[in-house]
This record gives sequence, structure tokens and C-alpha cells, in this order.
Amino acid sequence: MLDINDIHVSYGRLRALKGISLSVRQGEIVCLIGPNGAGKSTTLAAIAGGVAPHRGTIMLDGAPLASGRPEQIARLGVSLVPEGRHVFGTLTVAENLRVATYMRRDRAAVAADYERVLALFPRLKERIGSPGGRLSGGEQQMLVIARALLTRPRLLLVDEPSLGLAPKIVDQVYEILLTARQSEGLTLLINEQSSHRILKHADRIYVIRNGHIQLHDLAANLQDGEAIKRAYFGFGEEPGAAADAEEEAA
Amino acid sequence: MIGLLQNLVDAASLGSLYALAALGVGLLFGILRLVNFAHGDFISIGAYALIVPSFEVTAQLFIGTWNWTLMIPTVTLIVVIVALISDALVFRPLRRASAPTLMIASFAVSYVIQNGILMIYGARPKAANLWAGLDTPIMFGELRVPLLQIITIVATLVLMGALTLFLKRTSYGVMMRAAAEDFRMAQYLGVRGDFVIGLAFAISGMLATAVSLLYLSQTGTLSPTMGVPLALFAFVATVIGGMGSLVGAVVGGFLVGFVVIMLQAYLPEELRAFRDAFAFTFVILILLIRPAGIIRTRALVERV
Repeated sequence: MLDINDIHVSYGRLRALKGISLSVRQGEIVCLIGPNGAGKSTTLAAIAGGVAPHRGTIMLDGAPLASGRPEQIARLGVSLVPEGRHVFGTLTVAENLRVATYMRRDRAAVAADYERVLALFPRLKERIGSPGGRLSGGEQQMLVIARALLTRPRLLLVDEPSLGLAPKIVDQVYEILLTARQSEGLTLLINEQSSHRILKHADRIYVIRNGHIQLHDLAANLQDGEAIKRAYFGFGEEPGAAADAEEEAA
Repeated sequence: MIGLLQNLVDAASLGSLYALAALGVGLLFGILRLVNFAHGDFISIGAYALIVPSFEVTAQLFIGTWNWTLMIPTVTLIVVIVALISDALVFRPLRRASAPTLMIASFAVSYVIQNGILMIYGARPKAANLWAGLDTPIMFGELRVPLLQIITIVATLVLMGALTLFLKRTSYGVMMRAAAEDFRMAQYLGVRGDFVIGLAFAISGMLATAVSLLYLSQTGTLSPTMGVPLALFAFVATVIGGMGSLVGAVVGGFLVGFVVIMLQAYLPEELRAFRDAFAFTFVILILLIRPAGIIRTRALVERV
């Protein structure tokens, strides 16, 4: 479904992604694990059109995604739940949800989806008239996920859903993501800083560090966590290190 | 007592113009982080669109003679088109530019419009008599209020009510509020960025037109730089109101109008020439107490 081939992204002189390649197949849960600043968020933003790679290609169902056009990419069924929640704080919960439906033309289905999504999030239904900014962190995380679901995505990109949330809330968030995946037929690409929760749910894992993919394997093969730890902290050989040294010398 | 009431009516009337101008500036700042110095020139265009192009000192009304039901939509359309063209030609290519770059670009737009007016209409100020009948005073007991002031205040309240309804009740309005708060997030949800920005320019142009008509009928003079002081006070109003907050822009506009009129009325005669200096001192005082403005928003928080 999604094929990323050797993308490079820079912010000014800072090189955030130095050749990332990854793929996600229909119906999979794929997880990107890596420390802060590794390039996880940039990868998701590049897919969603928020940043433009200066090299490499991103293909959705075999067609290249126009870089830098987030509203186009949203229309193709790719929805990003960015890190840090990005609730519209002065809009009510209902308005936050409605924003996600304006690009859709299937008004009847929108009304049905709205009810269905609210049934998934009873807490949001109770707070439907409150400004988004008044919600607790957990509720805000629920709101941004509900909002993303209302764009009716095929591919949902979730950036650090557990960031800054109590473990109990994180469990709820994952439960909802998995339920939504079942009921909506979603494909998921999730970023996390730590692997312990995601190893249970993911089909495949990529470990990303310093703008490179350090490790890629089926989650089933990584359950002991040792290989992930080595890739995460950069022990042992690093696939990108030689290339980096070469470029710096040049 | 009557004197004070009279001053309050004047303050509400002047404050209305500043509030309308500030709304136009605040709207674009909210969506685009653009401090649009050309807003004053949008106001000038609305006034100049009413008259026959010539270098004569006494302006001859052209569109200005039409019945107001036809004249107001026509002038509005002209200003909105100018606003949209300036977006398409200047600001759209600068979408990824920083806020200071956008502001400098707006100076350029302002300069081009002013010189355009200069070329077509000449540099000298012109007299024009729009809606001459409206200065008939209406008596409330001993209080004399020119009809025009009442129209100004009422028109302002109606426009603000309409804008509020638009922003709260329509899908485009909700999109605009979402985009003003978090532009990139709105795009991720499928809101078309260029469309929302175009809409903001169009509404900004409509608000500028209202100021043009009300201001011209109050002062009766046109000049190529007539919009500049209005825009200046509008910026001051948005800053003390709280950049990015539309309610703040309105509050700021009325507050500035109030301060200016009160200074005009109660400053000692020999200090009146320095009225604006006192007004800006007052602005500095407000900003010392509330650096983010009266109504704080997330708009000033740096976004990554």
C-alpha cells in the first residue's frame, strides 16, 4: 500500500532523514521505534505531505504522493495524528470533529460515521460541547484519533500516541486503535519511543535512529527485545554510519 | 453631562471604524500570520472606486451616485478583487515565507496601490460628498447625534454579528477558525489552505469596504494615503487587543477610539496637537501591563 524509497529530508542545514525506505502492506500494523530526534515524526510528516523530501519517492498504491500538499494526501485516505495532539483548542469537540468531514462528499455516510465514532469514544460524547482546549490530555488524544477516523482514512499514521499519557490511558488508546482497525479496515503506521507495548500489537517493526533505518524485522522475531535495544542505542554495526562518514568527508 | 454623552457617541463611532479595520487586519493575521500593511490601501481603493478617474480637485462621484443597494455590492466586489489579486500575485508565492517577509511584502503591495492611485487620480486630496443627507442630526433630548454616526455604529454591529454567525455556524467559518488556530493540522484534515486564505482576504476586503464608505462619508476627502492612519490605528488595536484574537481586535478598536476621542475632548488646548502621542503612550502602558494584549491567544506561541 505504502512504499517509501530512500527519502531525504532536511530542515535548513539539519539533515533529519538520510535515506529512509520502508513499506506498509494493506491491513498491517507497522511500528517505527526510535529515540527522540531520530526522524520518526519527520517520516510521518513526509508521508502526510507536511514536509517535502528533497530526494526519494513516496508511493501510495503505486502512485507517487505529491509532496507538500497535505490536503490532497488527506483526500487519498491518509490521515496523520501528529505528536503533541494538535486539538483546535477554541473549537468545541463537535467542531473539531466536523472539520475532518468537510472534504468528504458522501454526506449520508458522514452522519453515520459521526455516530459510530462517537460510540467508540463515549467520553467525547459527554463533552461534545466543550472547547477542545479544556479536555484532559487523554481526552485530547481520543479527540484527535476520533477526528482522524472521521476523514475515513485507509492508512492512519499515529505519532507517539503514548506521549505524556498515564499508562492506563495509553492502554485505552491502543485498545481503541485496535478496535478501529477491526471495524474500519485500517492500516496503521505508529511511531513510539519505546517498544514494550507495541511489540504485542505490531506485525513489523522498524528501528530508526539518526535518520537511518537501523533494523527491520517481523515483530515476532524481536520479542526478546535484545536486537531492538542494540539498534536503538547504536551498539554494534550501524548501517548508516559508513555512508555518513563518507558524506562528511566529502 | 450632555458633553460626556456626546463624546461617548463620538468614541463609539470612531471606535467602530477602528474595530472594523482591526477585524480585517486581525483576520489575515490569524490565518496567515500576515501583518497586512496594505489593509489601509484596500480602504483607500474602496473610496476611490466611487469617483470618476481624473486629476480634478473636486471629485465627481460615479459609482458613488448609484443607489446604495447597487453601489455597496459593486464597490465591495472591486475591493475584494484587489485583495484576492494581491494574495494571488504576492502572498501565494510566499506561503512558506516567514512572518517578517510577509509583512515587508505587504509594504510593497501598499506602495504599489498608493502609486497606482497616484497615477490614475493624482496626488492632491479631493473633496467628495457621499451620502450628503446623512449629517442631519437626530435629537435625543438635548443630545445631538448625526444620523451618520448612528449608521456607522449600527453597520459595525451588524457586520460583527454577521461575521460571528459566519465563523460559528457555517462550515467555511469553522474551517477558518480551525486554520487560524493550527493551519497545518487543518490541512492534514483536508482543509484547503489556499481556499481558506482566499476567503480571509475576501472578508478582509469586505470589511475594508465598509470602512471606506463610512469614513469617506464622515470626512468627505480622499487622498492616496487616506487609509494609512486608519490602518495604523487598526494595528495598534489588534496589538493591544491581542494579536490573533478577533474579539481582541474589536475590543482594541473601540478602546483606541475611546482614548483618542477622550484625549481630544479633555486634553488642555495647548496639548491637543499631541493627542496621538498621548494615545500611543497609553498603548505602551497597556502593553507593559499585558504584553500579549488584552485577550491572549495561542497565535503568538511559536509552532514547530
